[in-house]
Amino acid sequence: MLQYTIRRLFSIIPVMLIVSVIVFLIVHLTPGNPAYLILGEDSSPEAIAQLEKQLGLDKSMAVQFVDWIKNILMGDLGQSIYSSEPVIQVIMERVGPTFSLMITAMSLTLIIAIPTAVFIVWRRNTILDPLFTSASLLGASIPEFWFAMLLVLGLGVAVPIFPVAGYVAIDVGLGDWIYHLILPAFVLASVEIGLIARMLRDGMLESVNQDYTKTARAKGVRESVVLMKHVLSNALIPTTTVIGVMIAGLLGGTVIIETIFTIPGIGQLLIDSIHRRDYPVIQGVVLFIAVVYVFVNLLIDLLYAFLDPRIRYD
Amino acid sequence: MKRSYLLTIAILFIFVLFGCASQDDSGGESNSGEQAGEPIEGGALNVAFSSDPDTLDWMSTGATATRDVGWHIFETLFTLDKDYQIKPMIAEDYKVSDDQKVYSITIREGVNFHDNSAVTAEDVVASIERWRKVSSVGTIANDYIEAVEAVDELTVEITLNEVYNSLMSDMAAPKSALMIIPKEISEAAGERPLTAEQYIGTGPFKFENWERGNEIVLTRFEDYSARKEEDWGGLTGEKIAYFDEIKFLIVKDPQVMINGLKTGIYDYAQSIPPDLYEVVESEPSIDPVTYINGYSVTTPDKTEAPFDDLKVRQALNYALNKEVIAESTYGNKDFYSMDGALFDPEQKVLYSDKGTEDYLAYDKEKAKQLLEESDYNGKPIKIMYSNDSETYKRISQIMKQQMEEVGFLVELVPYEWATYLEKWSDPANWDLVVVGWSTRFSPSELGMLIQDTSSSGWYNSEKWGSLLDAWSVAESPEEREEILADMNQTVNDELPFLKIANETKLDIKSEKIQAYDSWVGQRFWNTWKSE
Repeated sequence: MLQYTIRRLFSIIPVMLIVSVIVFLIVHLTPGNPAYLILGEDSSPEAIAQLEKQLGLDKSMAVQFVDWIKNILMGDLGQSIYSSEPVIQVIMERVGPTFSLMITAMSLTLIIAIPTAVFIVWRRNTILDPLFTSASLLGASIPEFWFAMLLVLGLGVAVPIFPVAGYVAIDVGLGDWIYHLILPAFVLASVEIGLIARMLRDGMLESVNQDYTKTARAKGVRESVVLMKHVLSNALIPTTTVIGVMIAGLLGGTVIIETIFTIPGIGQLLIDSIHRRDYPVIQGVVLFIAVVYVFVNLLIDLLYAFLDPRIRYD
Repeated sequence: MKRSYLLTIAILFIFVLFGCASQDDSGGESNSGEQAGEPIEGGALNVAFSSDPDTLDWMSTGATATRDVGWHIFETLFTLDKDYQIKPMIAEDYKVSDDQKVYSITIREGVNFHDNSAVTAEDVVASIERWRKVSSVGTIANDYIEAVEAVDELTVEITLNEVYNSLMSDMAAPKSALMIIPKEISEAAGERPLTAEQYIGTGPFKFENWERGNEIVLTRFEDYSARKEEDWGGLTGEKIAYFDEIKFLIVKDPQVMINGLKTGIYDYAQSIPPDLYEVVESEPSIDPVTYINGYSVTTPDKTEAPFDDLKVRQALNYALNKEVIAESTYGNKDFYSMDGALFDPEQKVLYSDKGTEDYLAYDKEKAKQLLEESDYNGKPIKIMYSNDSETYKRISQIMKQQMEEVGFLVELVPYEWATYLEKWSDPANWDLVVVGWSTRFSPSELGMLIQDTSSSGWYNSEKWGSLLDAWSVAESPEEREEILADMNQTVNDELPFLKIANETKLDIKSEKIQAYDSWVGQRFWNTWKSE
């Protein structure tokens, strides 16, 4: 197990290297120049040249790339062109809102999806089952931004229960924190709830008539226990994979949701930095997202061994 | 099943309760809003601010966002009042010697910095030294300044090497005015922009905190030394800070701003597209705030064919029906006006309507004829614009249509703002750009006329240069008016750029914000929030 983990950790290095090459190329091949953006439309060519030199943008792309990689290997992601703060610090300041949003969305998804799936399987031969299938399909196909605006107009403006925008840090107040996160997290969760619940339902239906469940029922075990203990726990294993993919999806989704709800997270930082051509920050954020993604997947793989005693990595 | 029934009813009940409660709230609000009443001190003002500035040091950048926040923190020796006339702020008075080369400026006694030290002549001298190196206007004035000295505790003397009558307006120019900061800070910062710890000014609000990308927080400066006169408007006169705190919250989406104002999250929101004016107007709890915001132009690239030829530029001017362009672009008449002058009618000391005869000289036949006489060979004209702005996109599209009617071939090349700025610097990328220029406060600040730069399309004119020189030594208002008319006439004749229309900007505020007076930017002093 330990050996496997170490091996997997080492395999991250080439992945990161490829990601950084691609990001660097995309960022630097895109037209636009931070010097023009900082100095504005009536700046002189001399001032532009001077600022470019100061920012190190006058060097060739190869030199800039080697400098950047060298610094990264030493743990230095560079400095933001826009705020002159270290990129690491800029990212860390924005991680809180994004992770808060993701955790709330994940929790909402699981809190709603798991009981729904169990309930549907329990009532599997009623009208509820096809109803659920279409509802989950609807949830997965509604565009997030449209659903977000609808929710804001309904529950933010017409019936003002929730705030229409903004974010309050958790250390300011737990209540305020969750209050501001519910709407955006629900929008993010709306896509995933249907997905996870259907995945679980299918998995559970597969094992609901298997021999071991029949045996359990024959022993006189109550249906609720059969479902929860025998059926659900088996269906959870494939679902775990989906949850891993979902985390990646949530990271992408936060880019849109953070903009609509004005949440100062990683997604907004990325968009703002692209508009500002803040190269070091764009590169840093994309690397950061890649690292999160790779680690989540590693974690999920390790979780398998825990959930399913048959899986062993040694 | 029964239980879920009960739950549904309970949820519905809660919804109804919330609905009623909020209706009661809004009823109460609109009542109290009708009575302006006595000023109320205290509370926080939440401003939805559309762009996140790079810095709050306006001397190091011309960005509007920087200036709008900075005005609450920093002050200048002289500044502009509501009619754009120069008035003292930190200064008490000034005298000019008979040969017009020595300016003796006295400072008001007991003006406090936010670190509670008082402003002395030494601080002013150091601030002027930094202004001469950093500010875009200061570097121009620098050529005329021979020496700056502190005569006594509260008097500063500026000696010029030749007559330069623009000195006062340069120091007051809102775009990169001479901000007064403590001597140690001027010296420590040098040519670099001030850092957050260095935001020490004399304004009615002081800098508290900046969470980049999220919010900028200012708090009331308790020891603010206000001028004793009335509020002169603009950036001077008596300023009273009623709010305990101003929060500039970075909000990008105008719809979020409007929703936020409706529900009381924000009290003020900046930069609402005029398209949404009807939405704003129909909402009783929101008041529109409008102010002048420069004008839209199209600038030809004058280094290369075809627009190096004046005849082709004239043909272009006759081809464009600017009234039609403006009407279909801006729609509502409240948000644009047709005026060919270089400055806005509101800027009384800078405005002259003389010399703008050809501004609306739309004549398709003349355009065709001029185009035929010229060397234009039918090569497609590239109109470049930034597709971040709906306004300039529309102007470009209508221009294309009107130009094709007289025989131009036109190609539209839209870019995202950052790419657009870079492409602008090379004449090979475009023949015409369509862009807006914010309100300027002196002829030397007109970015679309700075000679031999991309911003003016590489304009090169001896006439314009000599007018700028004449402006800097002009003595009387009559003389200035004559030069301004001449400037209009030069632009009219040489067509370095073609003005489309004056623009008006739209902000919105909650009806609870009382006695608010708008200028070219936000002014959050002498205003308060009713209960």
